[in-house]
Amino acid sequence: MTLVRSDATPLVESTLGVPDLETLYRAHAPTVARWAAKLAGPLVDVDDLVHEIFLVVRRRLPEFRGDAKVTTWLYRITERVACESRRKDGFRRWFSRVRHIEIQRTLAPPHLTPVDEYERRQCSERVYRILDRLPKKYRNVLILFELEELSGEEIASLTGLKTATVWVHLHRARARFIAEMKRDSGSST
Amino acid sequence: MKEPTAQARQSDADERAAIRHRWTAKPPGDSDEAQAGALLRSAMVVPPFGAKDLAEVAARLRGRERRSSRKWAWQLAIAMGLLLIGGAVSAAVAHFLRGPSVPAISRPAPVSLLTPAPVRRTHAAPPSPPAPAASPAPEPPPVARPVAPGPEIQAPRLAYAEGRVGSTVARSSLEPPAMAPASPSSLAQESRLIAGAIHKLRQDGDPAQALAMLDQHRVRFAGNGALEREANVTRIEALLRLGRHDEALGLLDAQVLKATGVGREMLVARAELRAEKGRRGAALNDFNSLLTADAPSDSVTERALFGRATCRAQRGDGAGARSDLEHYLARFPKGRFADQARAAIGK
Repeated sequence: MTLVRSDATPLVESTLGVPDLETLYRAHAPTVARWAAKLAGPLVDVDDLVHEIFLVVRRRLPEFRGDAKVTTWLYRITERVACESRRKDGFRRWFSRVRHIEIQRTLAPPHLTPVDEYERRQCSERVYRILDRLPKKYRNVLILFELEELSGEEIASLTGLKTATVWVHLHRARARFIAEMKRDSGSST
Repeated sequence: MKEPTAQARQSDADERAAIRHRWTAKPPGDSDEAQAGALLRSAMVVPPFGAKDLAEVAARLRGRERRSSRKWAWQLAIAMGLLLIGGAVSAAVAHFLRGPSVPAISRPAPVSLLTPAPVRRTHAAPPSPPAPAASPAPEPPPVARPVAPGPEIQAPRLAYAEGRVGSTVARSSLEPPAMAPASPSSLAQESRLIAGAIHKLRQDGDPAQALAMLDQHRVRFAGNGALEREANVTRIEALLRLGRHDEALGLLDAQVLKATGVGREMLVARAELRAEKGRRGAALNDFNSLLTADAPSDSVTERALFGRATCRAQRGDGAGARSDLEHYLARFPKGRFADQARAAIGK
């Protein structure tokens, strides 16, 4: 799986801080998987998503010059693939019908207190229903801050935004989230 | 240019201020923020991406090169298929539009030249059902008509089918009513209903509406639909989402489930529901049927192992439960219930 860039020798590149695919995968796949799971929500298969993301990474690696941090670059790819995946999800579900029976997701784990887990699943799905009504820039910042528990500076570093912009987005995201949460409660009752 | 007001400046400054406290760290309460925090906490737990997942995805990445050529072949095949379907559809549409207005239909000469072939075909095969009395065939066969062995419903279809084989002019002359306006097939209607139910369930998050659509399906197809299984699975999912576990279990109880494909997921769901209702013996049967020697190391097996351990423990079979938990930890050391399993056996 080792990837050799075509425009220079791998040795020189690795000393310049541009790792090969295998190194990237080993070092970052778990983090990428966590981002992907949180950005895409509970109804998306994380394995498939990570696979997709690293296919893009492999394709794009020759273009990566090390100008941005590797994590920033990986996050941007993850964000794009996760967004695309959520968009395709609806379409795919129409056609796959009930291939992926959702019982596993909906029903409780087998510790004989299924109600808690079932409720947790429902809440999680509700969270993403609400998040999906937010503009993408607000949605993702809120996810990174609240679910991924990153600091403002870390979010700025990942997304390439200024830290002040991150806070602005976060304030607005929170206000929108509360409003949408109330609307969702109103519509579901 | 207008100066920003003090209020606007303050609002701007407020928006740029760093946020110190996460909602998810707030204790439960009635405030909007506490409620949002509680809601968001439910989405914080994501399945771990363990060593096994890492290895699986890495293997898929390695196999990518081989698959890429296959992908092109698939794309080509799909493109060809679409092209063919498009051609067929446009030909059919063209025929449909042109058919009734073709003046040649009423012309006697071509009809007389072309009709014999289809007519002969209609009567060529002795076992075939006879042409129906209602068929507007110009010359009904005078002899050798079998004594109506087949049902009448089949005859028009046969005549229609055979008419389609013939030339356009012959077909038009032989079977005037065959071009009845196309009504959606029952399979199309059925799949539309079920797809609608799935959409309501998954996209709109409205299991009640999904159930209503499934009820329509039940009334319309009376349990004889081609997609009965899909309808059932969707109904079970909707019932679970509505918290109507008893009804879901009732449906699952009525199924003969095999430990393959979707059946495995339904089996483990049934086992969990049975266990939840205290029907541990029945639950154990389901868990046992899943936990065969060649059961794959997937989430179904994981749930089944842990579920069986719990059932066994509740029935007083401590040794069996311990054995299952140890087996679970050996197979799923970073599994969803690994901590609980370790705690239970004191590791």
